Amino acid sequence: MNLALNLDRKAEAAAIVHSHGVPHRRIEEWKYSDLKAALGEQGLGAVVAEWLVGDLPNGVEIFDLAQPNPPVWVMAHVGRSIQNVMSAASLALSAGGVALRVPKGAAIADPLKLDFTGLGHVRALLVLEESASLNLLEGAGAADFRNVGFEIVIGAGASLEHVRISQQAGDAVLVEEANVRIAAGGRYRAHFAGFGSKLSRMELEIALEGAGAQAHLSGVSVLDGKRHSDVTTNVIHSHGDTNSTQLFKHVVGAQARAVYQGKVTVAKGANGSDSVQTAKALLLGETAEADLKPELEIFADDVKCAHGAAVGDLDAEQLFYLRARGIPESEARGLLLHAFLEDAVEEIANADQRELVRTELLAALKAVA
Amino acid sequence: MLEIKNLHVAVDGKEILNGVTLSVRPGEVHAIMGPNGSGKSTLSYVLAGRAGYDITEGSIHYNGEDLVELSPEERAAKGVFLAMQYPVEIPGVTTMTFLKTALNAQRRARGESDLDAVAVLRLVRAKAKSLNVSEEMLKRALNVGFSGGEKKRLEILQMAVFEPKLAILDETDSGLDIDALRLVAEGVNVLRDPARAMLVITHYQRLLDYIVPDRIHVLAKGRIVAEGGKELALELEARGYEHIVGQAA
Repeated sequence: MNLALNLDRKAEAAAIVHSHGVPHRRIEEWKYSDLKAALGEQGLGAVVAEWLVGDLPNGVEIFDLAQPNPPVWVMAHVGRSIQNVMSAASLALSAGGVALRVPKGAAIADPLKLDFTGLGHVRALLVLEESASLNLLEGAGAADFRNVGFEIVIGAGASLEHVRISQQAGDAVLVEEANVRIAAGGRYRAHFAGFGSKLSRMELEIALEGAGAQAHLSGVSVLDGKRHSDVTTNVIHSHGDTNSTQLFKHVVGAQARAVYQGKVTVAKGANGSDSVQTAKALLLGETAEADLKPELEIFADDVKCAHGAAVGDLDAEQLFYLRARGIPESEARGLLLHAFLEDAVEEIANADQRELVRTELLAALKAVA
Repeated sequence: MLEIKNLHVAVDGKEILNGVTLSVRPGEVHAIMGPNGSGKSTLSYVLAGRAGYDITEGSIHYNGEDLVELSPEERAAKGVFLAMQYPVEIPGVTTMTFLKTALNAQRRARGESDLDAVAVLRLVRAKAKSLNVSEEMLKRALNVGFSGGEKKRLEILQMAVFEPKLAILDETDSGLDIDALRLVAEGVNVLRDPARAMLVITHYQRLLDYIVPDRIHVLAKGRIVAEGGKELALELEARGYEHIVGQAA
């Protein structure tokens, strides 16, 4: 990142990294995702990872954070939030990244494709100004280790659809922190499809900062072998009359591990907040593991919050019904697993992206079932 | 077509059927009647191949083949169909997708080619109309949110689409009002065929007013205690199970 960009924030971030070190399993939030063990001796390093933007849709502005003289909209937002030590590391240890802006009132029809590749740390900033709308398709390619610090600013009445597909990535250690701030009437709809790696963690901190702000999160994972996938969310209803939903589904085979840690905080005075959290996992064997941890902290009155988590196996009655109709067992299992994930997939608004995720899931289910 | 000899079945070590013998020829409709807990549903599940039922003695042959050796899907492909008492809800799988998947799986197992989506849709639509199964039902997830009557109608629709050789109807009348019952019975009667056998399992004589059987077997405490023609149903209706079961004991 340009050194002129925010030296104070960068120094602050460096201090956080220095004092905390690499997170490990004895830190509660990292209990199921031991980053220190996964990284081993290589540690955090200080390499700059790469980003790649596909065809830039008309109306979207882009700025390379490695370049000098950032525009005002970049200066106003970049590095404003440091949600945890890894987010601090991406700020402190990276000298590059990308900033994107959708100006006030612009409705961008074509999806914007953003890929993070290579080894190291990288920053990203996405600003949707008032009443703007965008569809973002994010890809995460394999690398030994990558840490992405993503800041998303959704202005009043703006709307972002975000789909992130994290391909199965063998030995990779992939960490991403997204910090999303949503103003009054703003909408964030995000889906996270994960196929796991040595350690994969997507951490979201979402602040609903004005009346009518909404966040709808969903995700699926299909994990085989010894792969790991962690989605950790922290949704903060800092203003009343805000709404959040979360639906995460996992299919876990072999010695794989799915993690969902979802925290919803309703701040004092945020009356009329509405929140639903659901996480479910199907374990396909004795050694598969799912750690689902929904959590609620409510400091306001008159709120509607519900949460639930369930870990189970395929339903024997359903399996028998399908087989009794002539569907072979393996095909019946595949059908039921797909059906189990389907309601989370249906949360994806864009039909092409929904199909894309379905196709990836089918292939992964074939391997794991 | 179906030869059951001295069948003993245990569930969790407890004997439910103890010595059932039954023979059904192509074209025949047999009814199995009996009080609750007599083993009627156990018999239907054993025929369909559900897990958890241990055959401790006796045999089941279907067209000369040992049925017990076959998996549920193999039985289905060979023409055994069980219309279930409690059809299972499967969220996330639409009824139409299910019908197409099942039909093509059966065809494949028989060495026939797959039917494409259009052909399946045409086939299903043609049969759905008379059973009052709507387009909207076909688009919904399988049995999810269906009323009792809708579930039973869908079971019969499957029977019409799969065209089994041996159809077992397990308490297809339960939970139906008289109009729904008539509709379902008509759907079944249309499928009566010299090449097809049916086993109609019911607690009440009512269904047999509409689906008139060739033969009735009364099951009690895991054994067949009385057999006869369709007039046996009337006797049961008039005098109750107690009378016949008591006589046999």
